Amino acid sequence: MAIAIFFIAAAMAVAGAVGVVSFREPIRSVLSLVVVMLALAILFLLLSAQFVFVVQIIVYAGAVMVLFLFVIALFGPSRELARTRLRFQSWLSGLFVLALLGLIWAMLQGVQYRQPDKGVDLSVFGTVQAIAVGLFTTYLYPFELTSILLLVAAIGAIYLSRKRIDDL
Amino acid sequence: MNTLNIGGSQLDASWFLILGAILFTIGAAGVLVRRNPLVILICIELMLNAVNLTLIVFSRQLQNMEGQLFALMSMTVAAAEAVVGLAILVDIFHVRDVEDVDELNEMKG
Repeated sequence: MAIAIFFIAAAMAVAGAVGVVSFREPIRSVLSLVVVMLALAILFLLLSAQFVFVVQIIVYAGAVMVLFLFVIALFGPSRELARTRLRFQSWLSGLFVLALLGLIWAMLQGVQYRQPDKGVDLSVFGTVQAIAVGLFTTYLYPFELTSILLLVAAIGAIYLSRKRIDDL
Repeated sequence: MNTLNIGGSQLDASWFLILGAILFTIGAAGVLVRRNPLVILICIELMLNAVNLTLIVFSRQLQNMEGQLFALMSMTVAAAEAVVGLAILVDIFHVRDVEDVDELNEMKG
């Protein structure tokens, strides 16, 4: 059962990723990325990461993708022209990507798996409580620092999209 | 040691890692091939998602929550990156329509 779910979700993810790269209209790329994110959310649930599964759907497939859709809707669906400045760019890119995949593949062959940690109850693994215990004890400072990061990003976005004096 | 027992079925952790590698390389291909700056941002999101999958697989294999916590942190960073990147693009689109990232060469020395 879990194996079937894995292969269906993996096929969805790879098909969506190919769609992201190959569609000419940006809006279709965004919708394909939503498919990839939902497929990855299924895999997260399979790996008993319940909280990350929910966050993936709400924050990624929800908020971030809606942001992309807003920008594309506001600035028109500009179709991409099939021209490149560099000759052989797609061939060189394909070669580079194949080399990258081969390198990662070769590295994965040498992965030394450590023995799993002892004394972990898998029935509460990845629940909101388990995440919260980690976030508010050991990783309190990184957690607080992310709030500063989000604040900086929000202020930066407001600053970049302000009305210019000469626009008025 | 690298097999995960999920609901009674034995799944190999390396299947997930290979899926992550494939998604990451497809995203890298998109960054290299596509010309539209918006689509390049989308491809970067795809690569970040592939890395998140890897983090969560190792978290499950080691039965250690820290991988999931780090995946949450990387989601925060990705959201911040998308916000700032889109704000920069909106600011550029106010001035002119950009169909090709090569057109953005004003800062070239």
